[in-house]
Amino acid sequence: MKASLLTTAVVGSYSVPAWLERAKNDFLARRLTRHDLDEIHDTVVKAAIKDQEAAGVDVLTDGELRRDNMVDYFAERLPGVEVYHASKKSAYDFYESVVRSRLATASLGLVGDFRFLRRFTDRVPKVSITGPHTLVKRMRNGYYPNEEAFAMDLARVMNGELRELAKAGATELQIDEPYYSGFPEDLPWAIRALNVLVEGVGARVGLHVCYGNRYGKPSWEGTYRYLFPAVLEARVQQLTLEFARRGEDDVALFGEFAAPFTLGLGIIDVKTHEVETAEVVAERIRQAIKLVPADRVSVNPDCGLMHLPRDVAFAKLVAMVEGTAIVRRELGG
Amino acid sequence: MIVHVNQFERGRAAPSGEALACVLDAVEESGLDSRTLASLRVHLDWIQYRANFRDPVTVRRATERDGQLLALAELAVDLRQAAAHAIRDDVSAALAAIGAEAADDRRVFLDDWAPLRDSIIWRFNRLFWQRLGDWEKATGRGFEHALPSGRSDANHPDAVADAVAEFWTLLRELEKRGQLPAEVFAMEIGVGTGGRAALWLDRFQALDEERGTGYYPRVRFLLCDYSLPTLDRALETVGRHRDAVSMIAMDALNPLKALAFLRYKILYIHLTNVYDNLPTDELVRRDGRLYLVEARAYVSPANAAGIAREFGIAPDALRATVDRVLEVGPDVVEDRARGTTFWRAVWDALRLEERLVALADVAEAPVPPGLHQGHLEALLDAAPDDVRFQLSRGAAESFVNTLPLLHPRGYLQVQDIFVTSMDEYRQGFRGPGKLDGSVVNWVNGALLAAAAARAGYDVHVAPFHYRPGSRTSILYTTQRD
Repeated sequence: MKASLLTTAVVGSYSVPAWLERAKNDFLARRLTRHDLDEIHDTVVKAAIKDQEAAGVDVLTDGELRRDNMVDYFAERLPGVEVYHASKKSAYDFYESVVRSRLATASLGLVGDFRFLRRFTDRVPKVSITGPHTLVKRMRNGYYPNEEAFAMDLARVMNGELRELAKAGATELQIDEPYYSGFPEDLPWAIRALNVLVEGVGARVGLHVCYGNRYGKPSWEGTYRYLFPAVLEARVQQLTLEFARRGEDDVALFGEFAAPFTLGLGIIDVKTHEVETAEVVAERIRQAIKLVPADRVSVNPDCGLMHLPRDVAFAKLVAMVEGTAIVRRELGG
Repeated sequence: MIVHVNQFERGRAAPSGEALACVLDAVEESGLDSRTLASLRVHLDWIQYRANFRDPVTVRRATERDGQLLALAELAVDLRQAAAHAIRDDVSAALAAIGAEAADDRRVFLDDWAPLRDSIIWRFNRLFWQRLGDWEKATGRGFEHALPSGRSDANHPDAVADAVAEFWTLLRELEKRGQLPAEVFAMEIGVGTGGRAALWLDRFQALDEERGTGYYPRVRFLLCDYSLPTLDRALETVGRHRDAVSMIAMDALNPLKALAFLRYKILYIHLTNVYDNLPTDELVRRDGRLYLVEARAYVSPANAAGIAREFGIAPDALRATVDRVLEVGPDVVEDRARGTTFWRAVWDALRLEERLVALADVAEAPVPPGLHQGHLEALLDAAPDDVRFQLSRGAAESFVNTLPLLHPRGYLQVQDIFVTSMDEYRQGFRGPGKLDGSVVNWVNGALLAAAAARAGYDVHVAPFHYRPGSRTSILYTTQRD
């Protein structure tokens, strides 16, 4: 059996306990200092790393616990984006933000997050980055002639950060683009922006597309057929998709279109608190590897775990790892 | 002593003034000690529902968790019920009770002190919906006739037509984006007579045919209720749409339990007057301290004696008999007709004695499922310093267990009586009333808004403008993204 067969990974976020959400909200309400919140973040990131390690996950993240949500962390760091800090009271909500001038190149701070993560784990660290298509859907455009131009420039600026991450030693990067599913008509230019984002980045890059996980619920419904064939132009190495909640019918699209990517197979439903058994996980994997060779499949939850209670999130990761181990043994045997 | 005049309706100042004069006279004569007097609150209320759970003048004592009495006491007068000539005597009697150690033990208590959500009144409420036919037979009228307008706002044709048009527009938009599901699920929870569902389906079918869109054959309309007799009746009413309709008996508190297979699939969910009929708690804040309202049901000595005599029951067996009726049904008292008469007599006579049980802090408050302490703190931040408000536990539980059924583009519509902001609790008493054999209670819309926000929805409340003078509002959800 190859060591890399059916690698287990998380998609990005880890469980955000109610008390952490409250601390973030207290910070927004100026009841908690930046310094104290940073310390809390450092502590919870270490705990999240430990949980992922204890569950046995191969590729792990910092749980994205420093981020309020998938947009604001970037909006606040992009020079040229005005963020209205009074526009939200709940950390999970989005700030109102607008770009009023050409985006300037600057560090987004992700390298520091990556170094922190690597300091506390020997496993493979991964950094997830919200993609340009999703970001332009959430930030108001007050400068560029259209969304595509905005996304292209955003990709140019963020490309620098991805290159820095690779230089710092990051080998696994992931671009999150859930809004593809809501705006399939944008796909041609959204993929072009993605390619600008990843150009010359010396790391393995995955593209995660789901049907949304805002507030722990889907934002859209449909099938992944809309991704094809446009997504075949994406210069990424992996496509990470959700299947546990929606069923595995769309796995067949990989074969139908001879997709040149490995498949990040979502086999844990992150929108229910019901914990899958290892056997259910194993069966989902068995079904998928009938259609995509096992050496081109890695295993992950459908999406981030932020909306799940911590005990549930942990139990789901354990089930994922144990279920994967069952199939690995079957393949190795 | 602090006086709260909890009603702002025009034309009611005079009764308030007269009542207050009586109260002040009675207080002066009562000889209450200065410590008690300093902690006395007087509330002049106007209870929306003429039939309710309060005597015209009542006293609420504050206690620690272990029952130890605190100085805070509330004297509450329902100006709607209180007879001008009796207020003074009633207030004097109530003030005397504040000074007394023991309660009036001649009353017949039907349950023990418990938070409002666990009061026996909810068992009566359940029996009413389960044995609706018996009750209606006894009263000779349908339950909707007990509503203030004599009919349910749920069935207002203009409101239903607007709801249908809005839904059709949603389907059209989904179709344009190629996202129209093969099966279009719509659901009504708490179906009443089935009148609204029938109207909705009639109207939807007509609109669909008129516009030639072919949506009606895709519709799967779910009639949901916890009362099988109610569902049977509703199914008859929608008879001409039988192929499109399914009925599902389920717990309104947790629709997800019965319908998990429809998670994220239902495009339209409607409820009318369901949330006002679900168990609730009430919290009180006085002088910065929080109290949980506890209640125990009683029947006055005179009413208990009358009922006992009428039904040949020993007065001390009344509680056990009521318990049996609630457990088994009215048939256990002689025959069904007599049993129903007994049930109605007890319900008419039933009153709630309340007390305020001090909480150490917000963490001790019974936060409804789907919310956490932070939500409650935010609500309290937005509330007047002195406030009594509902923690609409049943409504919140039902709400958070219904939202996951919504399709990502679907929406929930709730027609009910809402308090839309915490500040509104300043403007009147919002306590429970009796509606025929059921309980009716205002719903804390601010609480639902907090629950919705965490679940990814904004809620909006619009007045029900289809019937002038209606106190009903329509709460609807929109995606919070």
